[in-house]
Formats: sequence, structure tokens, C-alpha cells
Amino acid sequence: MISKNLTAASTKPIILGILKQGNSYGYLIIKKIKELSGGKMEYSDGMLYPVLHRMEKEGLIQSKWIMDGGTRPRKYYEITALGKEELVAERAQWNQVTELLENLWGVKTSTN
Amino acid sequence: MFNLEDSIKKWLADFQRQRAFDEGKLQEMEQHLRDHVEDLVQQGASEKEAFEQAVASFGEVPRVAKEEFRTIKRKPSIKTFLFTTMLNNYFKTSLRSMMKTPLSSFINVFGLAVAIGACMVVYAFIDFDLSIDRFHENKDELFLSTHYVNREGVEECYGNAPAPLGAMLKADFSSIKNVARIYDGVAVVKQEENVFHESLRYVDPEFLSMFTFPLKWGVAQSLHGVNNVILSEETAKKYFGEENPVGQQLKIIVSQGIHKVFNVSGVAKTFPKARIIDLSILLHIENLDVLNPTYAANDWAEMLNATFIQVDDPSTLDVIKQKMGRYKQYQNEVESDWPITSFDFVNLADLHLASDEIKNGISYDASDEARIGLPVIALFILALACLNYLNIAIVSAARRLKEIGMRKVIGASKGLIVFQFLSENLFMTALAGGIGFLLAALIFLPWFSTFTDISSDFNLLDPNMWTFLLVILIGTGIVSGMYPAFYIARFQVIKIFRGTVKFGKKNLATKIFLTVQLVLTCVGIGFAVMYAQNSRYQAHRKWGYNEKQLLYAQLQNGEDFDRLSALMAQHTDVLEMAGSKDHLAKKRATKIVRLPDQEFEVAELNVGANYAATTGLEVTEGRFFKENYESDQTSIVVNELFLKNLDLNDPLNQQVKIDSTSYQIVGVVKDFYFRSFYSPRRPTIFTLADASDFEFITLKIKDGSQVDSYHELQAAWSALFPETPFNGGFQRDAATWLRFYQDLGKQQRFTRAIAIIFIILASLGLYGLIQLNITGRLREFSIRKTLGADVKSLTFNVAGQYLLIFSIAILLGIPSAHVLNNAMLDMMFPEPRPFGYSGAIISSIILVFVLAAVIASQVKKVANTNPVEGLKTE
Repeated sequence: MISKNLTAASTKPIILGILKQGNSYGYLIIKKIKELSGGKMEYSDGMLYPVLHRMEKEGLIQSKWIMDGGTRPRKYYEITALGKEELVAERAQWNQVTELLENLWGVKTSTN
Repeated sequence: MFNLEDSIKKWLADFQRQRAFDEGKLQEMEQHLRDHVEDLVQQGASEKEAFEQAVASFGEVPRVAKEEFRTIKRKPSIKTFLFTTMLNNYFKTSLRSMMKTPLSSFINVFGLAVAIGACMVVYAFIDFDLSIDRFHENKDELFLSTHYVNREGVEECYGNAPAPLGAMLKADFSSIKNVARIYDGVAVVKQEENVFHESLRYVDPEFLSMFTFPLKWGVAQSLHGVNNVILSEETAKKYFGEENPVGQQLKIIVSQGIHKVFNVSGVAKTFPKARIIDLSILLHIENLDVLNPTYAANDWAEMLNATFIQVDDPSTLDVIKQKMGRYKQYQNEVESDWPITSFDFVNLADLHLASDEIKNGISYDASDEARIGLPVIALFILALACLNYLNIAIVSAARRLKEIGMRKVIGASKGLIVFQFLSENLFMTALAGGIGFLLAALIFLPWFSTFTDISSDFNLLDPNMWTFLLVILIGTGIVSGMYPAFYIARFQVIKIFRGTVKFGKKNLATKIFLTVQLVLTCVGIGFAVMYAQNSRYQAHRKWGYNEKQLLYAQLQNGEDFDRLSALMAQHTDVLEMAGSKDHLAKKRATKIVRLPDQEFEVAELNVGANYAATTGLEVTEGRFFKENYESDQTSIVVNELFLKNLDLNDPLNQQVKIDSTSYQIVGVVKDFYFRSFYSPRRPTIFTLADASDFEFITLKIKDGSQVDSYHELQAAWSALFPETPFNGGFQRDAATWLRFYQDLGKQQRFTRAIAIIFIILASLGLYGLIQLNITGRLREFSIRKTLGADVKSLTFNVAGQYLLIFSIAILLGIPSAHVLNNAMLDMMFPEPRPFGYSGAIISSIILVFVLAAVIASQVKKVANTNPVEGLKTE
């Protein structure tokens, strides 16, 4: 299980990453996250929406309602240019963290 | 049974209660839930299971809502929250209390609106007046040359300039960039069938580069050509209509045999309204050689109307002035009568305001009284409106005592109560400001523009005007609200609820405010009445001669007189005729009269022998001139003022010297007014004119047939001189007098309006005050009525408390009005209406009438109410 704090911190890059692969709506996004994490990230579905709304307000993503195959209207989110820049920056940060942790844990503990 | 739709609805209602989500977001949640349920059902769950699982994995609604709030709302600070609620509350209470007493609110708002509207108009006027002749781009570099002359011990500034001065300045000082000499003349201008009298402005061609008069057609440079003229748009329209006249020809005829044909080479664009210096026909100054053969460009005695210079650096003027000493010598050699003491320069931007002090100047200032009078009037109205407000606010606070007590009990500090009432007041003044702006824009400004056209130049969006308006609004709001606010805030809660607050009637400050309000009203009404009386008086004064029966015409030369008088003599309605070189209201000269021990400057009228008989000038001593009487060549007739100033007891046979010739006084005529009642009488001498010098013909017409004779005169003129337009008319319509009476009419219209505003404001203020007072004492009056009081005693009861204040107001106000009015009239009229009591009486009657009407209307209301109703009211 991934801790709550880490989940919260990683939500933004995850959403941006998913939307970079194509436009999507809330339910699908959460489904995808659950799939990708193999159930290790525990989410309450509802908490995704405030995050989406905040990101939209910050201009990282934008939304529009689309009638989807005549079934139901769905609010689709799309990544913006600003969002793409943000994703690059987030990615660099996460890489740095991973690198740091790998280095740290890859080195043998000194003998003395 | 489980119903999915109902359950979803219930779940959504949960969300709605949180108020974090708008419609769109709610729908988004709903779709999420439905998607999830659908998926689960497909996987084999029942609808109920699917719904429960979907809701569970969605999470707790309040937590989601809380998270969402963080996105949509700025962090609200407690302070701003409280503040907006407070202001909202104040706004509501002030609106409610306004609606509760709509009449007094109307009086307050309307009075302030009128005052603010008046302030705006005054602002517009002053703004217009101060911008006169300041649209020239080089205005800071342009200077009018002036000179000082010592006349009878008084240094006087003159705006005209000796002819050679301009050229000398240009040659002697390298710091002077440009010089424009200006000579104004008149001529007949002819273009095919169009023949009119026009004024010509002869200038140096640099005139157009120094002053900013952009051209609509043609180029300014063309003025360098001596055969070119540049016209104003108005003049161009008169001769050529709307078409471009460049290249067309005009013939300028100065007098018989002196004329020249010019090419129109340019037309100026419409001038700004705020201007005095302009042009109607502009031509090169060198044309004076042809068109004015007597003009001597190198003679220091020859005067031009103005000489302007342009300098890059105005500080060099001091040096220039110092070095101009030798010019003084040149001038004083030829004009020893009026020696120049010094030269000076006046900046173009200041010229309009300075021009009252400059004689023979190119600019003038006709609005100095208005510049002082109008702001005073506006401030008066504003003060009156503020006092109206003040008094009504204090009295009406009585109705809000409980509200104030309540506020205090729940913790409002004194400061907060003051703040509440001040903000309420600012709200009122803002409302009044809005209405005042509309009043000004829609009514006052258009009306005022019928006196002086200020509205076409005035920009309602002028940021300065808005700053001014804002300052006035906030100032008024605070000044008028300050006292009531502090007064109200001072009450003790206990006393309020016990009902023992002593209110209004006994308060000294209230009485003082009311007195001041009434004094201001008295001053306002008294001033308007007395001013109007003077206008009436001026309008009916005698000119000192028989102007009503006179016709005149301007001649080209003395021969014209013989031909025209011969023709007019055939008409029986023509009683007398006279020729003259000068003419009353039109033309006179200035001379210096020398007695053995003293010198005097006097006006001279050079006239024919029959002039007094024709015009009706009354000879009180001696005689007027006799026709063909050789010795009358050295005789003069003087007016009474001349005698008074020279202190001559036995005037007849007294010898005086004029220009080294001795003259004998043979007669005295009564004083008369030459130009208008704006100009003081002057000591005047009449000299006998040579018939060949006649420039005017004057005809005395049988009373009643002036109009017919006028047409006959015109007909005779066009029969004799078809080439020259007729220039003459009724003596009564002589330009200076016509303007005087028009001006007087405007003043009468204006003061009437001001008086009406004052009376309306006064009645409204009194009405509001007395109404509040009476409603406050309704129970008392009801009791009085039940005990048998009749209308008379009620009236005395109400009127009694105002009687003293009213008497004080009249005793203070009317004399102040008199003093103010005198100060104003002394500025405008050399001989204002003599003092009389009727003005004081009339204004007092108006005031008493207003008070009586207001009290009567209120008492009637009380008298008509059933005392039972009055006793029932809270």
C-alpha cells in the first residue's frame, strides 16, 4: 500500500501523464490509475474531482462537455500547453528523487 | 424495493447541501456514479450492491466538498466578512430609513443634487473661462508687448504698440524668434453680388506660425504673398458657401478710390469657442501702404493694435526690457503729451485674465464678476443644501433612537455609530451626486449655455471634473454628516430606552444651524431681489438725450452727407438732421485740455452745428454752435461733468487750451451716457466739425414713424450708393447699447432663476423641518385639540417657536444681502441703483410668505386629523 501523503503528492503528475496520452473523463481517469497501480494506490474516487477542478483553475488542463456515442454527456479533460510544461518539470523532479533514493540505497553501508 | 434513480437523487442532494458544487460539477459527479454502477452491474452485481459499492469508493461527501472549497474560494478573512456584512446592513438601514420618510429624503437628496449640479456648471464655466486663448501650442513663448503711460499721475498699461517697435525688436534682439504686428481695420468687401462690411486684420505672415490657427484649406505660408488673404470659416461661408474658395477673388474697398483685389489663399478651421483673439480676414501688413495711405510704418506716433513676440526662453525678457530704454526716447519725442514710462510683456496664456488692466488691448475680460459671483452663488446653494440636510438629519434621528440604542447595546462603539451615519450620509450624497450630474448635464448646462456657450467645449468625461465632483461629494458628505453623526452617537442607551432623551427643540446647536440656514436663505433671496431691482433700474434709465427718435448712418465722406440729407429732407417725418465726425455711442476722440494751472484728459465729440438740436442733448447754459459762425471754430461746448471736474464756477467765456489752440467755452450741455451704463460718464467737449469731415449723419424722426423712416433711409442710401452696403440704423440699437441691454436681460433671467432656486430650497428645507417637528409632536397636538385648541392656537403654537429665529434671520440676512449686492454692483456699474428699502421689504415678504405657507399647510393637516388617531400613533 502506498501512503496517503505520497498518493496525494503524485496525483498531479499521474493525471497529467494520463491526459497526455489522450483526453479522458473523471471516471476513466480513476479507473486507469487503479489499473496502473495494481490497486496499490488507495483512492476515494470523489477526491479526484477537487484535484481536477483545481488543476483546471490553474490552467494545466481544460474541460468540455461531449456527448459520447449518444449515451450520456461526459466532461472530458484535455492537457494544455502549460500542463505539458508542468509535466516535464514534475518528471524531472520525480526522477531526481528516484535517482537520489537509488544512489542512497544502492551504496553499501560503510563498514566503520 | 431499491430504486436506483431515487438513491442517486438522494446522494446528489447530499452534495447540493454542501454548496461547494455548481450544476456542472454535480452533473459530473452523477455521471461518475452512474458509470461506476453500470460497470459493476455488468460485472454481475445487483443494482443495490453496485450503488452501495460505488458510493463507498467515492468517499465521504463532506470531505470531498471541503477539498473542493479550497479550490473555489479565496480564504475569507473574518475582518472582510464582518465588514461587508456591516456595510450591507448599513446600506439596508439607510435605504429603509430613507423610504420611511420619503419626503425629507427627497428634500435632502434633491437639495444636494441641485447644489452639486450648480457646482458642476460653475466648474464648467471657470474651466471654459480659464482656457480662453490657451489652445495655442506656443502660448508659453508668446508675449504681447505693452507699455506704461503716466496719465494724470496714474500709471496705466496699454496694449497697443508704436508701429516701428516690432521691426526694431526683431532687429535688435536675437533671442526674439518671431514678431507679429497686428493692425485692425474695417472695409467693405465685395465678391460678385456679396457686399458686406468686414473687419480686416493686417499682420506679419509669422502670425500664423506663432498662433495655432490650423487651416481647413490652403497653406499658411501663402500669407507671405501681399495679394493673398486668409479667411475664417465663417467669412468664407458668407461669400462662397460650403465650397473651397482657394483661388477665388475678393475686392477690399477701404474708401472711394482705395481698393485692391485679393486672392483667397486659405481658410481657417473652426476656432475653439474659448477664444478672444481670432481673425475674420487676414492679410499681409504691407498692404497698409496701399489700403491706408496715411499709415506711417516708421512713425513712433503711429499705433498698431498689438505687437506679439515669440521667445524660446521667457527669462530673456528681463534683459530685453532693460535694453528697451532708447525706444522710450523715440516715442516720447513725438508723443510728449503721454510719455511712456516703461515697456513690458504679457504672456498670451495670462492675457485674458490680465486684460482688465490693459487699455486698448487686443483681448478683453468680460467675466471677472462672474468668476467671483458664480462660485459664491454655488457655494451658497451648497451651504444651504448642507444646512437643510443637517437640520432634517438631527430631527429625524429622533425616530431612530431605538435603533441606535439597540446597536449600542449589542456592542457598537461610538466610533462605529459615527461611521454608520457618515457612511449613510455618503450614500445619500453619492445618490445626490448622480442626480446632480444628470441635472447639470441635461438641464443646467444647456440652460447656462444660453448665456455663454460653454457646453460645446465642455467634456462631461473630463477627469478633472470628476475629481472635482468627487471632492465636492466627499466633502459635502462629511461636512453635512459630521455633526448629526456625533450628535446621535453621544446618546446614552439608558436614557434612550427610558425615553428621557431631550431632543431637537431644546438643543442650542440645532437652533444655531436653523438660524444660519435661514440667514443664508435671506441673504440669497435678498441678494437676488436687490440685484433684480438694479437690473430693472438700469434698463429704464435715460441716456441723457433723445435716442428713441434717432436714426444714424455711417458715411464715406462729407459729400455723402449733402446728397443724403438733401434726399431725406423731402420726408416730412424727418424733423432734424445733423452731420458729425464723431457720434454718440459710436466714435469719439481723446484730448488734453490745458488751463493755466492744470491739465485734464477729456473726450471730444467733433460735430456739426445742428447736432444738439437733432440728438436732443439739453443745453443748460449758453448755447450750442451756430451754422457758418466763424468764431465757433474756436468755441467749445462742454458737459456738466467737465465743469464739475474742473471746478469752474463761471464757465462761459472761460478760455482753455487744446493742442496749443485757445478755445472759448460757449455752452454747457447736460451729462449723457456715451457707450452704455457700464461705462462711467466722461468729461466731454464738443467741437465744431468741418462739413467735409462728416462721417455720420443723424436724423431726428417724428415719434412713431421711426421704422418707416429707417426703410426710407436705407432706400435713399442704396439709390445713392449702390456699391456700398448701408451701415447704420436706430440709435437705440447702437452695438454697445444693444449688447448692454442683452446683457442686462441675461442677468435678469439668471438672477430670477437663482432666486427661484433659493426660494425652492428654502421652502423645501422649512417644509421638511416643520413637518418633522409636527409629526414628532402629534400626540401633544392631539391632546391640545381634545382640550379645545382651535386652528388659530395651533398655528400660533407652531409658528411661535420659529418667530424669533425668523426675525434674527431677516435682521442679519437682509443687511448682509445689501452689502454683498453693493459690492457686486460696484464692480459692474459705475452708477448702481441708489439705496432703497423696497428690496429689503420685498425679500422679507417673500420669506414670511414662504414660512406662512409651509406652516399653514402643516397645521391644516394636524387640524384635519382625528385626535384619536394622533394619540394612537407611537
